[in-house]
Amino acid sequence: MLLQLHNIFKWVQQGGQRVFLLKDINLQVEEGEFISIMGPSGSGKSTLLNVIGMLDGFDEGEYNFFDEPVHRLKEKHRTNLYKQYIGFVFQAYHLIDELTVYENLEMPLLYKKLKSSERKAMVADMLDRFNIVGKKDLFPSQLSGGQQQLVGVARALISKPKLILADEPTGNLNSQQGIEIMELFKELNEEGVTIIQVTHSENNAKYGKRIIKLLDGRKLN
Amino acid sequence: MLLKYALRNIKKRPVLNGIKIVGISLGLCGILFIALFIKNELSYDKQFLKAENSYRLTATSRAFLENNHFARFFAAQDLPVLTASIPEVEKFVRLAPIRGKLIKHEEQFYNIQQGFSVDATFFELFDIPLLQGNVKTVFQNANSVVVSKSLANNIFGSTNPIGKIISLPQGHFNSTKEDFQISGVMQDSKQESHLHPDILFMPGKDKIKGWAYQYLLLKENANPELVESKLSLALTNIFADDIATDKNVVNAHLMNISAIHLQSDLFREIEPNSTMTNIWVLVIAALILLLIALSNFASLNLGMAGYLSTFLTLNQILGSSKRFISSYFLIENTLIVLFSITITLLLMNPLNALFYESYQLNLLENNELFIVLIIAAVALLMIVAGLQPVLKQRFEKASLQKRLQKDSKTQVHKALLITQFSLAIVLLVMVVVISEQTNFAMDKALGAKENIVCLPLVHSEIQKDFSLFKSELLKESSITSVSAMMDTPGSETHDMFSYVLQDAPETEPGSNAIGVFAADYSFAEVFGLSFLGGKNFTHSNIDEPGNGEYLINESALHQLGYQNPQAIINKQFSLLSPVPGVTLPEGKIIGVVKDFHLSGLQNKVEPLVLFKRENSWLNSIVISYSATSKREALLSLNTIWSDLFPEYPIDYVEVNSIYKNVYKTELLQKRLILLFALISIFVCTMGVLGLALMITQSRYKEIGIRKVNGASRTEILTLLNRDFIKWLLVSFIVAVPLAYFAVNEWLEGFAYKITISPWMFLFSGALVILITLLAVSWQSYRAAIQNPVKSLRRE
Repeated sequence: MLLQLHNIFKWVQQGGQRVFLLKDINLQVEEGEFISIMGPSGSGKSTLLNVIGMLDGFDEGEYNFFDEPVHRLKEKHRTNLYKQYIGFVFQAYHLIDELTVYENLEMPLLYKKLKSSERKAMVADMLDRFNIVGKKDLFPSQLSGGQQQLVGVARALISKPKLILADEPTGNLNSQQGIEIMELFKELNEEGVTIIQVTHSENNAKYGKRIIKLLDGRKLN
Repeated sequence: MLLKYALRNIKKRPVLNGIKIVGISLGLCGILFIALFIKNELSYDKQFLKAENSYRLTATSRAFLENNHFARFFAAQDLPVLTASIPEVEKFVRLAPIRGKLIKHEEQFYNIQQGFSVDATFFELFDIPLLQGNVKTVFQNANSVVVSKSLANNIFGSTNPIGKIISLPQGHFNSTKEDFQISGVMQDSKQESHLHPDILFMPGKDKIKGWAYQYLLLKENANPELVESKLSLALTNIFADDIATDKNVVNAHLMNISAIHLQSDLFREIEPNSTMTNIWVLVIAALILLLIALSNFASLNLGMAGYLSTFLTLNQILGSSKRFISSYFLIENTLIVLFSITITLLLMNPLNALFYESYQLNLLENNELFIVLIIAAVALLMIVAGLQPVLKQRFEKASLQKRLQKDSKTQVHKALLITQFSLAIVLLVMVVVISEQTNFAMDKALGAKENIVCLPLVHSEIQKDFSLFKSELLKESSITSVSAMMDTPGSETHDMFSYVLQDAPETEPGSNAIGVFAADYSFAEVFGLSFLGGKNFTHSNIDEPGNGEYLINESALHQLGYQNPQAIINKQFSLLSPVPGVTLPEGKIIGVVKDFHLSGLQNKVEPLVLFKRENSWLNSIVISYSATSKREALLSLNTIWSDLFPEYPIDYVEVNSIYKNVYKTELLQKRLILLFALISIFVCTMGVLGLALMITQSRYKEIGIRKVNGASRTEILTLLNRDFIKWLLVSFIVAVPLAYFAVNEWLEGFAYKITISPWMFLFSGALVILITLLAVSWQSYRAAIQNPVKSLRRE
């Protein structure tokens, strides 16, 4: 089992009252799964994704990742955990404008303290795999949205994560580009990478083997 | 409408605009006070109506006083004859200092601070306003005297002093008691003058002889250089008996009285003067402060311009004219500057009060127009400086569409930042060097040690009873030793006698000379002089012929042609006294002491022979006490004094404070520069804090991405601070040669000076870097611990 959420609650205080963002979420994810999280705006999809990605904390409940109790880990330990196992893909790509494609890809490796030669090999590998060798010296602003998201996925994959978390990865793309990205996810999943995506689109959700529906912070099924 | 927008935008970012305002106000305050202080320094003696045509006359010659340049002249009696032949000289006045510092009224002694015997013409050159008495008649009669208002208050209280008798008591400096009748009361002298007499005696026509300060009033359009050469000629005629040669030619020197305070650095000045160097140091400090304040404002403005990009562009799209941007920034800058001026005006009076308390300088008085001009000039500069880069860098090039899309990325003007920091480092190096030098001087000066008091220039009656006084004092356990000496510490002693030394090559009698200093046998003990060889004076020695004892200093050892102190010990030695009727016993050199400073460090240590005298030439008494019992020691001193000399007022000063007075300008300068350095660094730090705030804000997203991709806090901190460190290092490299040049120039003015060493630069640089990094890191850390979810939330 990859991860397990157990009675997760998350809330904020607003005007003296608790407003629940996540309410009693229970979830088990096995390795190799492809999960789509769906629900209307404000239903807590992104929050759930962030909790799973350890970017955000929660107020109650237990979260085990590879049998490590995330809720009890110190920040540093947690950072190491997600640095090693998790890659993120965002709707707005979140590439750094000042860095070239090559440098953007290299960034996660820098923080894993890999040697320069290793980094070179891994980045070259990734550029090759995504067919963007020719674009390696361009800056994000010189690429189309689809190409930028391609770089975003490549960056998420470069440190060989077990789990990819994608927050509306096709939200900013046209339908053709969107399909390409989803096909890519499908391929990756077939290679054994676990994927959890948040999406609005029924079509995209169908790529997932399991669909989780959220409403007002609560899991429906 | 624009005004409303500007006010609203200023309110929207209180921290950053606050930083701007604080920076400008502090800069403005600093510059204003430096300017006022410099103006004050430059205004010395200009209050005298005839200052423009009043000159001080001095003379030098190789034939007398070793060509040393004294502020007064030793043969004042010759002045009437001298000037009679020179038509350009309209008036002259001689000021012979009263050395006794004691006056007597109805059997009671009073101390005076600065008194002169003067010619009746005094008030025609130095028109100090009279409160009582008529300028024309005040010195009509011989033996009339004018006192200052505060001295009159001190002696007579509220009774009318006119007509009262004041006398110069009989003593070492006067053979008989002399009575004077008060004919006038003058205002206390203005602070900005090179002389502050509290009493002026007029002994009668041409009674002034010997040493006196000489001042000439020249005719309206006289050429002082021409007069100078005529005077040189006339003086040479008087002093060179037959034919003028290189050796006996006399050079006259005229200096305008308003130049004395800043340019005169002669022996025996009336009061310690300041120097042009001090003025330059302050000018540099003010310029540095101005530049820092300007560039700080400019770089913050530049950084903040991004915030307004959308606002301004939308306005333009909606049809505003191109001038809109310029007028908007003009109004915003003007508002900021106006706020700062208000703060400056509020701060001005309390600051001035502080100044007045510590230095008796009322800088604001009568300077309203000057203050307005300075503030207006600086304000204008600020507005222009704040406007220029913003308009140039941001808004001219990009098209409207682009401007709307572009992420507002904070611009850092590297040149501005580096200028600021280089200047701050330069200023800090100056502070370090000036305080090191001042400490060095204070340490090195004789008696800069704690725990010595000096009774300066005591009355000759007291000098007679010195041994009794000494033995009484030594009975007290709190007092460690007592000595007497020829002059007060910190003053200039330049008496020189001829000498005869055993085994020295024969010279014509009287053609050689060496500095001399008379002291009591405990002198070395009180001041803790260290011996290079030989021993101190013996107690029992009674100065009989053949048995005299002499101590010399290291410089004298070298002047006498010896290197090894041991070799000169026990050589026969004698001094030839130039004073008729006084002989000094033949004897031996019994000891060699390390060089010590009697006067300020600006002068080199002169070769000096110390000799022991009883009952004469011991004008000042010095007393050392144990460090822990200062109170008891001073109490005993007071009791013993009033037991032995009830009719004389006691007057003592700590030797420390005498030296502090000699170094008054340096100490004041040190404090001012320190203050301005602190202000500059504060302004710089605030500016950097503002920039850091903006930079981290504009990089929030990037920081979030990096964190999501595994960057730790330390890595984020490094990322954000790296640029600042780079700029700081460049600033340091720029600052070092500048600072080296500046302090090197300043140190030139000292005969004994510290060596400039690398730690001074490293320390200053490190301090600035440390402070900046702390300020920057405060912001960076806040950004680094930020939850990336927040910064990455969809726009």
